[in-house]
Amino acid sequence: MTKYILKRIGYLFLVFFIVSFLMYALYNLIPEDPARNQLEAQKKALKPEVYQRMYEELREEMGLNDSLVVRYARWMGLAPQKQTGKLDGLLEGNLGKSNYFKKDVIEVVQGPIGNTIFINIFATILALGITIPLGIYCAVHKGGKLDNFTQVFTIIGYSIPIYITALVFIYVFVVLLGWFPIGGMGTPGAEYTGMKAFWDKLYYISLPLIVMTFGSLGGMTRYVRSSMIDALSMDHIKTARAKGVKEKVVIYSHAWRNALLPVITLIIGWFLGIFSGSVIIENTFNLNGMGKLYITALNNHDWELTLGIQMFYTVVSLIGALVIDLSYGLVDPRVRIDK
Amino acid sequence: MAKDKKQSIFGRLFGNRNKTVDVMVEEQIQSPGKMMLNNFLHNKLGMTGVIVFLLIFVFVVLGPYILPIDLGDTDNTQQNVPPIQSMLSVPKELDGNISAISPGPTFGVGCSKDGKVYIWGYTKITDTIDLKDIPDKVKEANIVDIAAGYDHIVAIDDESNIYVWGNRRLGQDRVPSELKGTKKNPVNIVQLEAGYQFSGALTDEGKAYFWGNGNMCDVDVKKQYQGHIQKIAIATYNYCLLLDDGSVVYGGVQKDNAFTRIPENLSSGVVDIAATGETMAAVDEAGKIYVWGNSTHGEKDVPESESRPVELYGGRYHYTALMENGDVFSWGDDSHQQADVPAEVNGAAIDTVYAGFYQNYAVDVNGKVHTWGLKGHALGTDNMGRDVLTRIVNGGKVTMTVGAISVIISLIIGIIMGGLAGYFGGKVDMLIMRVSEIVGGLPFLPFALLLSAIIGSRISVELRMYLIMIVLGVLSWTGICRLIRAQILAEREKEFVLAAQAMGVREGTIIFKHILPNVLSILLVEATLLFATCMLTESTLSYLGFGITPPTPTWGNMLTGANNSIVIQQYWWRWVFPAAIFGVCTICINLMGDAIRDAVDPKSIGR
Repeated sequence: MTKYILKRIGYLFLVFFIVSFLMYALYNLIPEDPARNQLEAQKKALKPEVYQRMYEELREEMGLNDSLVVRYARWMGLAPQKQTGKLDGLLEGNLGKSNYFKKDVIEVVQGPIGNTIFINIFATILALGITIPLGIYCAVHKGGKLDNFTQVFTIIGYSIPIYITALVFIYVFVVLLGWFPIGGMGTPGAEYTGMKAFWDKLYYISLPLIVMTFGSLGGMTRYVRSSMIDALSMDHIKTARAKGVKEKVVIYSHAWRNALLPVITLIIGWFLGIFSGSVIIENTFNLNGMGKLYITALNNHDWELTLGIQMFYTVVSLIGALVIDLSYGLVDPRVRIDK
Repeated sequence: MAKDKKQSIFGRLFGNRNKTVDVMVEEQIQSPGKMMLNNFLHNKLGMTGVIVFLLIFVFVVLGPYILPIDLGDTDNTQQNVPPIQSMLSVPKELDGNISAISPGPTFGVGCSKDGKVYIWGYTKITDTIDLKDIPDKVKEANIVDIAAGYDHIVAIDDESNIYVWGNRRLGQDRVPSELKGTKKNPVNIVQLEAGYQFSGALTDEGKAYFWGNGNMCDVDVKKQYQGHIQKIAIATYNYCLLLDDGSVVYGGVQKDNAFTRIPENLSSGVVDIAATGETMAAVDEAGKIYVWGNSTHGEKDVPESESRPVELYGGRYHYTALMENGDVFSWGDDSHQQADVPAEVNGAAIDTVYAGFYQNYAVDVNGKVHTWGLKGHALGTDNMGRDVLTRIVNGGKVTMTVGAISVIISLIIGIIMGGLAGYFGGKVDMLIMRVSEIVGGLPFLPFALLLSAIIGSRISVELRMYLIMIVLGVLSWTGICRLIRAQILAEREKEFVLAAQAMGVREGTIIFKHILPNVLSILLVEATLLFATCMLTESTLSYLGFGITPPTPTWGNMLTGANNSIVIQQYWWRWVFPAAIFGVCTICINLMGDAIRDAVDPKSIGR
């Protein structure tokens, strides 16, 4: 198992460097010149030749003339910075400076990161807490009333884009029923502390959470159900039943352990999807999270901030993949032995 | 015979399948392809999906020919109009009892001979102003003439008192003191007109007065014309005058604009004048019609007429002329059939016509009203005054095209990569699978947003559409690649491949001609489901403003900006219709995909 884990972590780092290099290269396609930006103010006061010389010097000083790989290594924090000679990059926690907020990217990101993780953890707990029991129930009672209803309901759930679901839910719960506030992260102007602040926040994000859960119900439930049906049709289930094992034990111990494998595979995609999916939810409900910040940064051409957030998404997806891989190994002994 | 056949197809699709069949028929061996088709055709839910999807498909493919879209088209007179069809519905009480009618942008007003005011169509101007709320004073008064402007209504009673209601900003209710007569010295108003943000009245002494937004509209009248004016005609911001010597003059103080360049022949003998939004027209004694101004919708292309035109009426972009023999003809903009005179009108001995904006009301000698023009918008309009139905039809075409092309791109990449990986195995497989893992591991939506933002900001709108297709295709091939690889790994071990190899068939041919056809059915399922996913992703990108940008419509960007309570509640038609058709469409595609899967792999039924 240790070998397996080490192998996965090693692979994770490899992918991280490849993806981040790709991103960095992509950002270098943007026709933006920090040296020119810095000198722009003095341009009028200087003679063209002097300006040109200063510009060349500054470019050299900032290391803009070096190759892409060297610049990437500097940005990542693997090679010393040209000006200071120290390692000061992404790995040291320096993500650059945000043009739009005039702050370090790391500072800008702090608040939204917490919010996004807060929302997504709740959404994950809710979605898994509903879909897994529902999927199992539908598989066990295949063809029953609830099953048929779920089959129709879930196809609607996963076919409709989440922002349309959000619009419909806003219309029903905010406009018609008035149960929830339309957007934001807390009562404006209110300064609650402790539990009260928590409940206030929860009240404000409850509708987004409901929408997110609803959006993930469809695909997940169907998947849990179908893999559970597969598992239940296996021979060892018949054997277990023939031996007179209790039905509960058959379902939850014999069948579910086998159904879990494909479900875990799905959770990879879904877990990543829920993070990037929250881009839509955060923008629709005006929540102060990474997704909203990302759109703001893109709209304002704040590339360093965008790159930082993009790295956040990459890291989340990689860690997600790692966690899933490891739990795969945990659930299925064959994976441990084979690799 | 043909009818029988039809019924049998219908019966096969939806009919009772539990018929007893001959043993010989039942036991007959079916080819796998036929079995799949049979399974598919007997899946009711799936067939419903197919039929509905085909209907939507035909709708968006043929629709743009019926409802072509003009991307530059915006109309501030038709903003946020709900789906109604009552813009031309003259109340019964006015039948044979009309004293005046005046069409507004989305409504019509009229007054009856007994002085009552009626209003129909969509009358809401803002949250608080509704033209239907006729002031009590007007209800009590005996109204004789009425005129509808862009967002206000002017009326006069039999004592020449002027009433204004609706939007009163910018001095639209600041009636000049000259028009307020005293008991000793009453002012008799003979003509009343209302334009975009101003109104005008003509007295029986030949004096005209205009009031309203003086900054935008040329409301002053040159002194030398006062006392000689016979008729006024109002365009959006300007007006022209017909004087008692039969000449047409531009009455305002602006020195040089499109309206001041009046054709030379109009210094005498003019019998009637009219104005559209941006042009003016006059007809002389010989029946010749002259049009001047900024002709944008063919206002200057006056058709030949059999009889002599004697009266002219102007809408927003079209003219209607009444001829000596009581016939009527229209020309100019025909986007809402406002220049399509119905056949019943000619021959009905028309007495007078009321035209304005996109509507025409022709009253015949018996007092019966004939109408043509804009009845309403089937699905309402958006915040730029664009017809929602037209945008849904054309947007659907864009959304489906983008979805289809991205699926094709990802199919091509996926099949080639998966085919190579699965067939060759070893290092090639390793490399391709690692690449596909990296691409698949990229956070999809943020990455697509990023690509669109970085590259999209530097290219034209049209190229941007192709960019979105490529981005979607390039980011979503990994699923297909994995599927093809797994299938080929299984197929590769079978005997027919060995046979082909033994016969010396080239490897490329084996992959694509011998193995691939066996994978085709599963590929079809995957492609169908991917089509729905690509449409969803495109619409999500467009919804966030990083996909296809307006004015090109897509089902996604029609919903941009719908996430505030005002739009959700008050302008529901702006999001309900696109969301509904898009939702139904993706549901149907998914149903179809599921049905194909069930047909191809009977084991999966019930999963």
